[in-house]
Amino acid sequence: MAERIAIDPVTRIEGHLRLEAKVENGRVTEAWASSTMFRGLEIIMKGRDPREAWLMAQRI
Amino acid sequence: MKNPDTGSLQAALSERGVSRRDFLKFCAIMAGTLALPATFTPKIARALEAAKRPAVVWLEFQDCAGCTESLLRANRPTVAEIVLDTLSLNYHETIMAPSGKRAEKSLADTVAEGGYLTIVEGSIPTADDGIYCCIGGRTALDILKEVAAHTAAIITVGACAFYGGWPATTPNPTGAKGVKDVVSGIPILNLPGCPFNVDNLTATVVHYLTFGGLPEMDDLGRPLFAYGRRIHDNCERRGHFDAGEFVQAWGDEGHRKGWCLYKMGCKGPVAFHNCPTLRWNEGTSWPVGAGHGCIACAAPNFWESPAYEPVPIHQLTPPSTYPEAEAAAAGLSPTAAGLIGAAAGLAVGAAGAVAAQRLGKEDKEEK
Repeated sequence: MAERIAIDPVTRIEGHLRLEAKVENGRVTEAWASSTMFRGLEIIMKGRDPREAWLMAQRI
Repeated sequence: MKNPDTGSLQAALSERGVSRRDFLKFCAIMAGTLALPATFTPKIARALEAAKRPAVVWLEFQDCAGCTESLLRANRPTVAEIVLDTLSLNYHETIMAPSGKRAEKSLADTVAEGGYLTIVEGSIPTADDGIYCCIGGRTALDILKEVAAHTAAIITVGACAFYGGWPATTPNPTGAKGVKDVVSGIPILNLPGCPFNVDNLTATVVHYLTFGGLPEMDDLGRPLFAYGRRIHDNCERRGHFDAGEFVQAWGDEGHRKGWCLYKMGCKGPVAFHNCPTLRWNEGTSWPVGAGHGCIACAAPNFWESPAYEPVPIHQLTPPSTYPEAEAAAAGLSPTAAGLIGAAAGLAVGAAGAVAAQRLGKEDKEEK
């Protein structure tokens, strides 16, 4: 009997993470990880003064 | 991360071997940080001794955990670390032991009891029904609204929870907002900065425990004790500004000599924060001290302002005069900086006038 379990949030890490696993007969057969937070720095950086890139990137 | 619902701070301090003398010294420093007269020291001491440690939940949304790093580096004075450590911190994703449903249960249990303090780090995405930040299958917006409904007060830490921070920078792809823009009817105190300075949180908590409420704030909800004074007026490089000694290029002679960073884009003249006096890393340094201009990280929308372009100054204020605290709310606007000077009825001091002349002169020489 397959069972699907989810661990969300995964704590003691920087950022937001969700883990899901499909368990069959006590063994994980498939697993998925998803980052559950998005800010869009790549979009924000477009067209900005390149000298400011490090100021924003260090704050990811 | 234990859950000490009972027991006073005094008990926790003696358990850890903090002497009475060190404790009183800490209370005196807190009185100073909160801009209270020294006569308040015994009142703070009595309040802290009797205080039941409040329950705290720390929510992280669109954050980088930089403010959490700042929290974990609370180490000056030693007692401050203990005050923060002995708060009943019931929920904090980055440092709590349980994960998944057990973590969410810690939050649900605290919310069910009510009356806790809420600390928020990171912005709240509002675009597309808030799907850009989900924890335990719920959106940040959902979680915040539920937690806010039962909290005694909210303290935001960092620029993101204050106004949206860099996630909210144009074009703000996720509709990121600050707490004050999505929650109403609850006392909110903002400790902006990128990251915020943990000593200001310690002082705010001490104020809360001593007086049973939040400290006096400006109209952006920032406590005046920390955000009432202009960086420029407390800057160790101010003398070089007044003398017309400016860094003109990174690594030039002026830069090596520690001259004023105004022309390299320093926003000190329009920024309000206690960085120059409180400092960072056990009080050893701060950005301007390390040789980079201030980016005004405690001001709303500071990312919209070019970091390396000089900010216009319309009115120079003599170093001995401080602006009206309310005017701090004006944030980054150069016009507002001018108005502050005008409202205070200032005549430009002799030193300021010299600086103004030299600024103009050197600008011409550059071209």
